[in-house]
Amino acid sequence: MQRAFKTRAELIDYLRDQFPDAAQRDDAISGMRGGRQAGLALLQQIDPKAYGASRNALDGAVSRLSPYIRHGALSLTEVRDYALTLSDNPRADANKFVFELAYRDYFQHVYAKEGVSIWDDLEPYKTGFTAQDYADQLPADILNAATGVTAMDAFIQELYATGYLHNHARMWLAAYVVHWRRIKWQAGARWFLQHLLDGDPASNNLSWQWVASTFSHKPYFFNLDNLHKYSGKQYYDRTGEAGHAIFDASYETLAARLFPNLPPQPKRPQKTTKKGKRRQRPHYHE
Amino acid sequence: MNKQPIVWVFGDHLSPTQPALRQYPNAPALYVWDTAMLARNQLSLKRIAFVYECLLELPVEIQRGHPVDVLSAFAQAHNTNTIVTVDSVSPRFQQHCQRLSEKGFAVERLTPEPFVKIDQDRDLKRASRYWRQIQAVAFTKTESS
Repeated sequence: MQRAFKTRAELIDYLRDQFPDAAQRDDAISGMRGGRQAGLALLQQIDPKAYGASRNALDGAVSRLSPYIRHGALSLTEVRDYALTLSDNPRADANKFVFELAYRDYFQHVYAKEGVSIWDDLEPYKTGFTAQDYADQLPADILNAATGVTAMDAFIQELYATGYLHNHARMWLAAYVVHWRRIKWQAGARWFLQHLLDGDPASNNLSWQWVASTFSHKPYFFNLDNLHKYSGKQYYDRTGEAGHAIFDASYETLAARLFPNLPPQPKRPQKTTKKGKRRQRPHYHE
Repeated sequence: MNKQPIVWVFGDHLSPTQPALRQYPNAPALYVWDTAMLARNQLSLKRIAFVYECLLELPVEIQRGHPVDVLSAFAQAHNTNTIVTVDSVSPRFQQHCQRLSEKGFAVERLTPEPFVKIDQDRDLKRASRYWRQIQAVAFTKTESS
């Protein structure tokens, strides 16, 4: 196939011509360019200390290196090694950054062990439902970013347009799909893999399973306060217009609503860390 | 038969610094768009574009089709039966390697640099357990860097 192109536009035209089925499904091209050079340029900009402090926020100091790491344009070890050079005390300053890199390493090892079984429920759902209670396919309103839930529609549009979502947006969207809409995580995982530039069956599927509770002790879900806190309040709309009322409740109330077959939850946050945050966990090194 | 192998570049290792390209800088190198995989997984054009841009920075020929068939023909065209690549956990990659071996090719799978080197079996039950197991060495720079 052709290797020489004068411009990116010429390359994109060529790809539309050569891969017409893909272009017909979704014609969008990401602003993120592929290639090691683009990855190295991003690597120069990382700030592991700021990442550790702000990574859960949509406007946090995330690296956006995941597509480059996923395709080996940058190796996991060279990213870690570079991060370690940026501080005299990397165990403190780069702790969270290296931890998230280790997550990818972990997922790769699980994939090596499980193989195609990562498409199966690794454990039963802990939601009070069985797999049969979940729909097999994504409905049209989700696929068309027309759920009427403002934040979710925005995330879906961003996924389509850029091939990238902040980790927290992935978690919120996955929880919405699996727990609010009661759709099998596999449908969501296939969908993400179609679009995410960093789409990797290991990180992707195992993270969906974590949200679903088939690879964790309990389901991940969130409420409107959590969405507001980490989205910079760009989705701060408690009116019915935004469609966010489905998230606007305490965790106890939401748990009772989403998982009615489970015994009532003790009256406290689902699980807290020392800092009082709900448990957070990455899909990717975002 | 040529002693010079061909290098098979798989989608998990799209860097000119990856072990196979570094170890065999003069070997003909190939990337294959797996057309059946693209159709089955319905990958979007933006994903294809990202990978294609990675490929344009590599000294590889780009073809498409079934990887086993395309690689077989490429190796035969270069009069060799040795295919060097970098290992991947992808089950599809593993299948391709097995099929190539069954067809009589010697497939040399180089090992990518591990994130951490530990002696004991990895505890994969939960990520938190794995992290506890490796964090003492996770902050150690790779020897070669």
